[in-house]
Amino acid sequence: MYLYLSLALTVSAGIGFGYGLYRFFRDKSALYVQMIVFGVGCAMLGRLFTTLLYLVNGELNDGFNVGMLGIIGSFLFFFSANYGQMDSIVDDGSTKFRKTRIIALAAPVTVAAIWCVIAATSGINALSIWVGIEMLFVALASYFHLKHLIIEDVSFGLIRAIRSYNLLSLVYALLCISEVLVDVLNLPAAFSVIVCVLECAVLLAFIPVLERGVKKWTT
Amino acid sequence: MDNLTYVAFIAVTVSLALMLPLMEKKLRRLVVFMITGIFSCLFVSELNNILLEAFRNDMFFVTTTITPVTEEIVKMIPILFLAIVVSDERRIVIPNAFAVGVGFALLENVVILTQNVENVTILWALVRGFGSGLVHGICTVMVGWGISYIKKRRKFFYCGTFALLSAAIIYHAIYNLLVQSEYQYVGIVLPIMTYIPIICFLRKKGVKAIGTSES
Repeated sequence: MYLYLSLALTVSAGIGFGYGLYRFFRDKSALYVQMIVFGVGCAMLGRLFTTLLYLVNGELNDGFNVGMLGIIGSFLFFFSANYGQMDSIVDDGSTKFRKTRIIALAAPVTVAAIWCVIAATSGINALSIWVGIEMLFVALASYFHLKHLIIEDVSFGLIRAIRSYNLLSLVYALLCISEVLVDVLNLPAAFSVIVCVLECAVLLAFIPVLERGVKKWTT
Repeated sequence: MDNLTYVAFIAVTVSLALMLPLMEKKLRRLVVFMITGIFSCLFVSELNNILLEAFRNDMFFVTTTITPVTEEIVKMIPILFLAIVVSDERRIVIPNAFAVGVGFALLENVVILTQNVENVTILWALVRGFGSGLVHGICTVMVGWGISYIKKRRKFFYCGTFALLSAAIIYHAIYNLLVQSEYQYVGIVLPIMTYIPIICFLRKKGVKAIGTSES
């Protein structure tokens, strides 16, 4: 069953990535959106590796497997786009946004709390350490996603236009963590299916939602 | 008999090094980075032997989980040096990154050839040439793309390079996984299917062909 779930995620991410390449790489587009397309592409590569490992080996390794780098890489791309490009435009570092910055910390704190649950359940072993490393990058990206979701728009609607994308990214972060949580807590397979279906939907929706927001930048 | 990896390394690099004084600057740099790629392979082969022993000679696990990580990190170092010391211009970084990857693949292919000399065929040569050569080249170019931001946009460089390194490691691991499975023909096609769009994209972005003007 896990093979088919992984395959579904690979196909969804592949469709999202392909659509992103088609929409944002034919002509000159903002580096911000191209980074997000790369993020979806990285997720696709990670899922493809996991699918092939299931296919060839029948199971995943205990602890680290290269598929984890798909999630790390994709959230690094999202983080890089927000931190490297967007954040300096929407936040000038003034005290005006201090409250927003503090509230946005709720996202990484939540991720850290979930990791504590995982570590408490499975103990400190190879799996919990590698999941912790994976979640560190999820936490970094989620801070900016939440911040850009709630920050007051002072940049001519620039950040307001992509709020749906930031919300979707937060949902994706939550789903990626849930995927690990279902595995660690040994929840029934139905939970894995639900998480997978939602993840597929988010991966498919990423680029169209972003595209709709980015269009508003020029209109 | 001496260690064949070192024999192959000396035979290949000495011939290439002797060519250097006759070359113009841009081509010389390219060949120097190719030799660096060959040296990286020599270094990684020693490192991989240690790792193979550490993981109880589980070849499948090591080649699909460990070596893609070590190889991509080691190949990244000369490109990082190029970007910091010489230039971070993409039209310089990308061809030299590809040269490091091809140099790496060159020694790797020679070493595998010497280890399996009784089983190799023309088909094997085609598989290794197109497969391994392109995979190493493409992966190093991916990382080189991120490194080219080192002086222009530091924030992008730190996160983007690591993200691209992750993508390169996964791509490399997928190739290693496929060529050891019953789907090895998919593994051979994968790099070719990736190489063509990347070349088209780089040409469109204005990264010039190797040997053309950099000014």
